[in-house]
Amino acid sequence: MQELSAYLVPHRLDEALQAMADDEATVFCGGTDLSPQTESGARQYKATLLNIRRIEGLGGIDAQGDEIRIGATTTVSEIRRSAVLAEVAPVLVEAAEHFASEQIRNAASVGGNLCNASPAGDMSPPLLVLGASVELACWRNDAVHTRRVPLERFFLGPGKTVRLPQELLTAVVFERPAAGFVGRFRKAGPRPALEISTVSVALGARFADGRLRDVRVAMGSVAPTPLRARHVEAALEGQPLNAATLAAAVEAAAEDAKPIDDVRASAWYRGHLVRVFVEEVLNDVRRD
Amino acid sequence: MEKTFTDSLMAKKTLIGQRVKKPDAPDKATGKTRYINDMVLPQMLIGKVLFAGRPHARIVRLDTAAAEKLPGVHAVLTGKDAAGLKFGFVRDNVALKDKVRCEHDEIAAVAAETEEIARRAIELIEVEYEDLPAVFTPEDGAKEDAPQIHENFPGNRSLRFEFKHGDLAAAEAASDIIVDNVFRPHHVTHCCMGTSCAIADFDHNGKLTIWTQTQYPYNYKMDLAPALGINPGNIRVIQPPVGGAFGSKLDVYPYEPIAALLAKKTGRPVKVIYSREEEFKASPTRQSAIIHLRTGCTRDGTLTFRTADVLMDNGAYTSWGPTIPVVMMRTVSGHYRVPVVDYKAQAIYTNNPYAGSFRGYGNVQGAWATAQQMDMLADLVDMDPLAFHLKNAQKSGEVTPQKSFLRECVFVECLETAATASDYSRKRREYAALRDQPGRYKKGIGLASSIHNAGGAKIHKSDGIGTILKVDDYARVTVITGATEIGQGIDAVITLIVAEELGVPLEYVTVVNNDSDIAPWDVGSHASRTTFIAGNGTRRAARKARAQILNAAEKMLGEPAEDLDLRDGSVVRERDGTPLIKLERLLRQMHFQAEPELVMVTDYYEPNSEPEGAKNCSDSSAAYAHAVHIAEITVDTLTGEIKVDKVTVAQDVGRVINRMGLEAQVEGGIAIGLGYALSEDMRIEKGMLKNACFRDYKLITAPEMPPLELHFIESDCVEGPYGAKGISELPTIVIAPAIANALYNATGVRIFQPPMSPEKVARAIHEERMRAVAAEKIVRTEDTAA
Amino acid sequence: MSVETEIRFKLNGREVGLKVPATMKTLAMLRDKLGLTGTKYACGEGECGACTVRIDGKTVNSCLMYAVDCDGREVVTIEGLRTPEGLHPMQQAFVEHGAVQCGFCMPGMIMQAQYLVENNPDLTREEAQRGLEGNLCRCTGYTKVLDAVQAVAGRNECRSR
Repeated sequence: MQELSAYLVPHRLDEALQAMADDEATVFCGGTDLSPQTESGARQYKATLLNIRRIEGLGGIDAQGDEIRIGATTTVSEIRRSAVLAEVAPVLVEAAEHFASEQIRNAASVGGNLCNASPAGDMSPPLLVLGASVELACWRNDAVHTRRVPLERFFLGPGKTVRLPQELLTAVVFERPAAGFVGRFRKAGPRPALEISTVSVALGARFADGRLRDVRVAMGSVAPTPLRARHVEAALEGQPLNAATLAAAVEAAAEDAKPIDDVRASAWYRGHLVRVFVEEVLNDVRRD
Repeated sequence: MEKTFTDSLMAKKTLIGQRVKKPDAPDKATGKTRYINDMVLPQMLIGKVLFAGRPHARIVRLDTAAAEKLPGVHAVLTGKDAAGLKFGFVRDNVALKDKVRCEHDEIAAVAAETEEIARRAIELIEVEYEDLPAVFTPEDGAKEDAPQIHENFPGNRSLRFEFKHGDLAAAEAASDIIVDNVFRPHHVTHCCMGTSCAIADFDHNGKLTIWTQTQYPYNYKMDLAPALGINPGNIRVIQPPVGGAFGSKLDVYPYEPIAALLAKKTGRPVKVIYSREEEFKASPTRQSAIIHLRTGCTRDGTLTFRTADVLMDNGAYTSWGPTIPVVMMRTVSGHYRVPVVDYKAQAIYTNNPYAGSFRGYGNVQGAWATAQQMDMLADLVDMDPLAFHLKNAQKSGEVTPQKSFLRECVFVECLETAATASDYSRKRREYAALRDQPGRYKKGIGLASSIHNAGGAKIHKSDGIGTILKVDDYARVTVITGATEIGQGIDAVITLIVAEELGVPLEYVTVVNNDSDIAPWDVGSHASRTTFIAGNGTRRAARKARAQILNAAEKMLGEPAEDLDLRDGSVVRERDGTPLIKLERLLRQMHFQAEPELVMVTDYYEPNSEPEGAKNCSDSSAAYAHAVHIAEITVDTLTGEIKVDKVTVAQDVGRVINRMGLEAQVEGGIAIGLGYALSEDMRIEKGMLKNACFRDYKLITAPEMPPLELHFIESDCVEGPYGAKGISELPTIVIAPAIANALYNATGVRIFQPPMSPEKVARAIHEERMRAVAAEKIVRTEDTAA
Repeated sequence: MSVETEIRFKLNGREVGLKVPATMKTLAMLRDKLGLTGTKYACGEGECGACTVRIDGKTVNSCLMYAVDCDGREVVTIEGLRTPEGLHPMQQAFVEHGAVQCGFCMPGMIMQAQYLVENNPDLTREEAQRGLEGNLCRCTGYTKVLDAVQAVAGRNECRSR
């Protein structure tokens, strides 16, 4: 039964974390995932409903130094419209462009999207190729404690992450991409908008002398979690970006992507699209 | 004679063909309109339904005690409260079930003070089921040993239709080319933005008032009555503004008698309203079918015959769905000139959701098949494809094998207009030639057409309409019409016609149309009939009023009535527009003269058509019309995505009445057809709908709507109001096969079961390529072997 | 049942205060507690846009937004779009271009259209299409909706103040 006994809307992080300390709080920001999940009964409220949207310091994009920091309550719209992200991490802005609808983008937080841990979560593949980590905070021994977890170790399964119930995701961070970094994001679905992506592929790498180095490739909707495509990465790392390398990368995609049949697409089609997209993003880099 | 009251002469203007605003648009645009979904009545309770959630089962135990005890619950009803109250075409349905035959069978219903309490009460109802073996395809339902779904329908056999004309054996023998395919038009659903909703209230004389989204208030009374065991005369049907209908509200569905039964039990008004998930699961669908179609022709391109063998999944109950053969056979026999026809259709009960009526009814399914086979034949005959279509297109005066009399037929003009405007022939050749060239993106152009009723459809004994019209002392006109406004714009058409005939400003006209205690008879908004039928009824009534007014003017002014006209709220001299008296002044004088006259007229219009009849061989519509669509697409052969670049439309509209409303209906109809063609698909697995939400059931969105070039061909229909014909189903009917034909032109791949989703197209292209590669390998092997 | 909280916010230009259950969504608050039925329920899952309202100037699906989070903010619904003179130019454009048929989706559509034009006075038809992708309509095929939006954008009547 969804019996709430309290609603809290703190302005300070420590207050929020204290409320979460005994795992009796359900957290929300925009509500775009929590609402449908509780309405359908897929998820139950805990005793306290905790609105984190007004916590000072939890929003905003800080790109001044070598580390880019995106606060957890930053909306997908803010990411999409961010001039600084357009400059340093256009692959992330590209994903935000394709995320649901404008109304959802205006409300959905990047922290919420990551914690929801959908295999199809659109923000994850670009953040993975940016080498992002999430910052998790909790209240322990009368103080705020934070730790960082690389995003590729964050997801455990559909809807499951390493975040402890007492922890709040406070930010996602990544190093300012070096000169020569190229990023690409590609996704499709039966409808341009509002689909939970049938498949998405992201690429991030340093491109110099016709070769890709420090390659990261991430995929969405082809596994229980957004994943780093290690076999594709291995096929590309240090290789000249030519037809043979592309073919090897496309072949390798089948080793990484283990899609399933579901109501949105068949395993065959997802696997097919992954190969198409891997080739596309690589050709796109080649052309530039 | 009095001095004229204005210096200016009033020129004759006409509203016919103009762009007229929909009268209710401002209220809708400001959120002021109260839809049925918004209605709250004093003392109203909320009704909710417990659905079975399984396809075929016996109810072993049903315990509502806990639900009844919940504070705020006023009634809990189950199958025993509806026992024996059978309704439906073949009386196979009841409001609350004693056996489960499909996923959305209504097992119990609750009326409570709030939605939340009603929901919790539903959760407290305890049910134990014994699942029974179920059937999910008509083939399985027809088997000897199939589980019996209804006791009264042995072998699970539901409706059956047949029509034959001519010597089939001879026609087959005379054919040089025969195409033979199985088409599988699929299940889609209406997705009205306003979910299903009914509010019922009994007065203390036992009269029921039901607020409903019905599209057919009068026969609805007749259909609802048996579900409640009351006299149809004791039912008042009020249809408030609705959020769409598209055919879904042409029958009684269980939630409606449930609202009434709850109202009866509680003595309070009860509102039943579906959530979107319930809407997906429990609303009627579009009828799916397995159509084995054969079309024959001679090498010189003359059609010789068509045969159709149709198997339909009836679903668990019989609503309008399995009656679509009545229209589908008219497509098979009347789409192009076909001398010999053999049509049969059989519906078989299954434990799947069941179908109702949906815009395009039977012709969407029929044209999906016939228009594709015409495209196939066009490639096989010894003539230019367009010439093949033109050769077989009927002309004015022809009669189809089912006796549809094509009095004014502009099929040829529609074909020529669309083909010329889109440069069809050249592009078709060019794209076909590029098919096998390398390249990821392929362009395609596809032509499709169909014929549809455009002057009503006499499937009931009456296809007529009553109209009551009054003009008051201020020259304000009230039209009380049997027509049902469902968003399609009949209010604008009626307003326009009245303003045209009586020369009053549009704002002077009020249309009253939604209360069966007030409005007269009509059989409903369906079969593209409403502008034709209600337009004629309105015109006739308005002319009676006009005659009465001008006769009074003649007496008062001493000038012959035939020399007078009504313009801009005045009586004028016809020949030069000299204003003689303001209309409202005349009306007041008529009212208060020695022999007082009020202008109040009535009309009953029955179109000149024959009843459909059991033989399905009659001129059952007062007019017919054609539409041709030419779809231009770009196919991404890797992802399978089809982008529709443009659609050129040529449609016989008889005469444009409200140009803006006409365009709007064509555009909207195409959008529904596009969804059918490209993205909508009810994934029903073992009788359960798997994609009961907009996230997974894909409607066409704004970015996917292509540019449309609309050509309205005016055939001037003698029987139609100002020459107009009915129009709004053809746009939904023709677009899907046009795209299928374009897909073939682009890629050599033909898809027989919609939707042509990216996955299906990608897979089909992929398989085609594998086949081509394998064929090449065989050839190579043979080469090396030789 | 759930815990109730008092909230105060600006609604269509006027201050309003009421108690809402913590789990109630803004859509239900508007329709059931405040009598503003212009904003519609058509899916309740943020997929159709019929419930679109403006919150602090941005459009959101009110069926997803917790009502308690309206506290201290500015909410504008379709009822708040009218000017003292009558219809808002965007509403008027929808009427004049024949964009309204059954009308059920129109409040959400108009709210979103207005937001798009305000944020981008040079809105192209293609941008309007993308911007309206979260608003489903079953009646119109969007063609006249886009005509209306283009007309308003072209007239630049809806510049952000």
